Amino acid sequence: MTKEKKLSITIDNRKVAVKPNITILQAAREHNIYIPSLCTLEPLPSYGACRLCIVEVDGLRGFPTSCTTPVDDGMVVRTDTAEIRTLRQEVLKLLLSEHPASCLFCTEHDECKDYQGTIRKVGVTTGCRYCPNDSLCELQTITEKIGLTETSYPVYYRGFPVEKSDPFYDRDYNLCILCGRCVRVCNDIRMNGTLSFKERGKQTTIGAALDRTHLDAGCEFCGACVSVCPTGALSTKVSKWYGKPDGETKTTCVYCPVGCELLLQIKNNETIDVFPNYDSTIDQGLLCVKGRFAIPEYVASPERLATPQRMTPLGYEDISWDDAIDEAAEKLSGINPEDVLIVVSPQLTNEDLFVAERFARELIGTDQIMSVLITDMREETVSFLNLASASSPFNVIDTADTILTIGFDSTYGFTPIGIKIKKAAKAGVNLTTLSVHESNLDIVSGETFQMNVTKWPALLDSIMGKMPGNGKGTKLKPLNKVVVIGAEVIFSPKRGAVFEKIVEMKDRFGWKVIVAHPYTNLMGLLAMGAFPGIKRGEIVSDGTKSTGPAVEDPLSAMDLARHRKVVYLIGEVPFENLPECDFLIYQNALSVKSTRKPDLVLPSSLFTELSGTIISAEGRILPIRKATDPYGKSMPDWQIISKISEKIKSGALKYSSISAIQTDIKKQVKSLSDVKKRLEFRKISAKTSGKGRTGKRLSDPKSSRKPWEEKYRGIALKDVVSGMLVIEERRRHE
Amino acid sequence: METMRKFERVCEIVDRNGRNPSRLIPILQAVQAEYRYLPEEILTFVATSLGIPPARVFGVATFYSLFTLKPKGKYLIRICNGTACHVKGSMGLYKTLSDKLNLGDGRETSDDMLFTLETVNCLGACGLAPAMVINEEVFGQVTSQRAAAIIDEIITREAQYESDSSRIE
Repeated sequence: MTKEKKLSITIDNRKVAVKPNITILQAAREHNIYIPSLCTLEPLPSYGACRLCIVEVDGLRGFPTSCTTPVDDGMVVRTDTAEIRTLRQEVLKLLLSEHPASCLFCTEHDECKDYQGTIRKVGVTTGCRYCPNDSLCELQTITEKIGLTETSYPVYYRGFPVEKSDPFYDRDYNLCILCGRCVRVCNDIRMNGTLSFKERGKQTTIGAALDRTHLDAGCEFCGACVSVCPTGALSTKVSKWYGKPDGETKTTCVYCPVGCELLLQIKNNETIDVFPNYDSTIDQGLLCVKGRFAIPEYVASPERLATPQRMTPLGYEDISWDDAIDEAAEKLSGINPEDVLIVVSPQLTNEDLFVAERFARELIGTDQIMSVLITDMREETVSFLNLASASSPFNVIDTADTILTIGFDSTYGFTPIGIKIKKAAKAGVNLTTLSVHESNLDIVSGETFQMNVTKWPALLDSIMGKMPGNGKGTKLKPLNKVVVIGAEVIFSPKRGAVFEKIVEMKDRFGWKVIVAHPYTNLMGLLAMGAFPGIKRGEIVSDGTKSTGPAVEDPLSAMDLARHRKVVYLIGEVPFENLPECDFLIYQNALSVKSTRKPDLVLPSSLFTELSGTIISAEGRILPIRKATDPYGKSMPDWQIISKISEKIKSGALKYSSISAIQTDIKKQVKSLSDVKKRLEFRKISAKTSGKGRTGKRLSDPKSSRKPWEEKYRGIALKDVVSGMLVIEERRRHE
Repeated sequence: METMRKFERVCEIVDRNGRNPSRLIPILQAVQAEYRYLPEEILTFVATSLGIPPARVFGVATFYSLFTLKPKGKYLIRICNGTACHVKGSMGLYKTLSDKLNLGDGRETSDDMLFTLETVNCLGACGLAPAMVINEEVFGQVTSQRAAAIIDEIITREAQYESDSSRIE
C-alpha cells in the first residue's frame, strides 16, 4: 500500500500537513482548531445546513462552509477573523429566533441557580425547566463559544404540541433547529427512512410520513435520532430530567449474541441511559431498541430482588446471606447427583458459567446442566448448536454476492446485521428474503417469499438446485453466499427440516451461515462446558481439524419428567418444563411471577453491576464492565455459587475475585487465552445411542406453542420495560 | 375493485417514468393531474414502487404548494392576491365568490366537489389585475359581477352535462 501524500495547508497562520480528500473542518478538528458547527456529525456525510462553520479561504469568493469545502494543497484558511465572528453571531441569532432561548440569555441565569434548592423532602428543583437538555446542549456550548450573550430578534415560539405518544422518547419540535442530523442518521446510517422534513419555510418540521406516529411509520426505535440531536428536541423518556451524567462506562450488551458496545451513562450510581459507540468495530454504533432503551428500566426495575428470601408458611421472609447460603448448602451437600437439576442461563457471563459448571460437575457430580435452549430447541438442539457454532463473522455480508435471509427480521434486534444486509442490497447484491410474516428487509430484497414454514425445505432445495457445480465439473471459485437465519425458523416447531437444508447448504455448497438467535452467551456456555455431554474447552478449536464432541440428545438424557430433590435455577425463571421437586432455589435479579413458588430466593447482580466476559456469536471475547454498585445486597452469580460451594466443602471453588476465575479459565481452557483472536468452534455431532430414546418425552410442550418473546434472564423484556410492551403488541398485530 | 383500478393508473405513471426515484416530482404531478389531489395510499404506493421511504415522498408532497393532500374540486379557482391585484380589489372578488359558493371559515372546497377557491400570491399577470385563473384558463380585470357570471355559466354547463349523461344511461 502506498502511503497517501499529505497536503500542506495554512489554518490561522499555522502550517499543517493534512490528508487529501477531507474537508477544511475535518482538517481543523484533526489539529485541534475549533470551528463551531451544529449540523456536522461523524459519521454522517457533510450537509452544510447550519452555516456556522463558515471560514475565509484565500482565492475563494465569500465565506465557504468548511464542512463542505475540501482541502487543497497550499490553501490558506482563516477561521476566526472579526468579520467571521460577526457573521457567525448573526447566523446563530437567526437560528435562535425559532428556539426558546431563556436558558441562553436569561438575565437571572446565574443568580437563579443559588435559589433552586428547596427544603422539601421530595426531589423538587425550582427554576426554569422547559428543556430536558439543559447543560448537555450543543447549542448552549456553541452559543457560549461564539460569544453570543443576547439576541436582537424576537423569539418566535412555534407552539407545536409535544409529541409523547410513542414509546421510549418524546419530541418537542419547538426546540428543533432543523439541522437535519436525525433525518440523515435515520436515512443514511440506519437505512430506515422513518424521518423526513415536512412542509416548507417557517412551517418546516421533522416527522414521519402522513404525520403518523413513529410506531405506525415503521420506526425501529434505535434512538439514533435522539443520540445525534444537538438540542433538547428529542429526549429519552426515562432519563430526560436526570441532567448531565457524571460518568460513562463502556461495556457489552447482553441482550443478544451480537455483542454491541454500549456506553452506559451513569449518574448517582445508577445507569440512566445508554449511548451507542459509533467507533465500535463490532456494531458501528448501530444499536437496536433493546440495547439503546431497554437497559435502565430493567436494572432499576421495582421487581429487583434486594435481599435473600426464604419461603415460610406465612409467605416470604427476608434472611441474611449467611442463613441463605447455609440453607442452600444444607440442601445440596451430600445429595445424590441424580436428585439435583442445575439450570443455567445462556445470558450469564463466562465466569458465572465456568463456576456453575465446576459446581455441577466437581462438587455435585452431575452432568445434568440444563439450559433454556434445550427445552426451546427440543429434538433439534444438536443441529441448532451445530449451526450456531459454525456461525460466520458478520462482515461476510460485506463481501457477499448472494444473501438469503430465512425468517429473519431486524426491526427490533440484530440491527447491525440487518443494516449490513440493507447496504449490500442497495449496492446491488442479490438478496432473497424468506419468511412467514412480512420482514423489514422485504422492501430492499430482489425476491421475497412469504409462506408457511412447511414449504421452506422445498424452496431451499430449489435455491440449492439453482446453484452451479454439484461437485462435478470445474473447480468452483470461492463462493460468497450468506444465509442468515432468524427467530421465525429457530422458534418454529417445523425447524428440524429447515435446519437440515441449511446444514446441507453449508456443507455441500459452501454457504456461510449467520444464526440470529437470542442466547447471548451461547458460545461461552458451550466453551465453559456448561452443557450435558460437552466438556470444558472441548468445543473451542485449537486450529487443528480435530472433531468436536458427540452429544446425546440432551432433552431425553435429561429426563425432565423425573422428580428431583433440588432444582437450582441460576439466572433463569421456572419454566413449564421443569421437573417436580422438593426444594426450588431461585437465583436471579428480578422477582418471578410464576405458579411455581421458589423455596429460597437469592438476589443476583446484573451485568451493569459486575465485570466479566462473554463470547459473541462471532466468537469474539467481549468485556462486561462494572458501571454501578450491585443493587441492594445482590451479588454476582459466580460469587453466590462460590459461597455455597465453600460451605459444602471447604476450599472448593473458592474465588475471591473475577480475575482469579479468569486466570483459572485460561489455565483450563487453553484456547481462550488469546483474547484478541476470533474463536473458531469444533463441530458438535449427535451421538446415536443404541438404546434409542430412554427418557420420557415431554407430554405437553406448552412452551413451544407460546410465541417467542425477547427475554433477559428468563424474564420477558415487555414485562419490565414499558416501551417494549408497546413494541411487542405491534409485532403481534403484524 | 375501485382501489385496484386506482393503482393500475399509478403503476402506469410510475412505469412511464422508468421507476426512477429522481423523477418523483413529475410522477406526483401526473398523479395529481389524475386525481386532482394526492391520496395517502397512493403516496405510500409511489414510495414503495420507487423503493424510497414514504417519508421522503411525503416531504416532497408537503414542500411544494402545487401539491395537495386534500381532495380538490373539479374547478380550481385561484384568485391572485399579489400587490397589484390586491390594490385592484381582489379580496372583494374573493368574498363574492366564497359567499356565492358557500365557502369560508377554512372551507375551500364546495360540498358538491365542483369548486375549490384559493388565493395565490402572484400569478405574474399584474397588467390584468385583478386576475383569476380557473384550472388553466386566465381571466383578467375581473369584476365581481363577471366572476359570478363565469361561475354561473360553469354550473349551468355542468348541470347540462349531468342530465345528458343520465339520459344516455
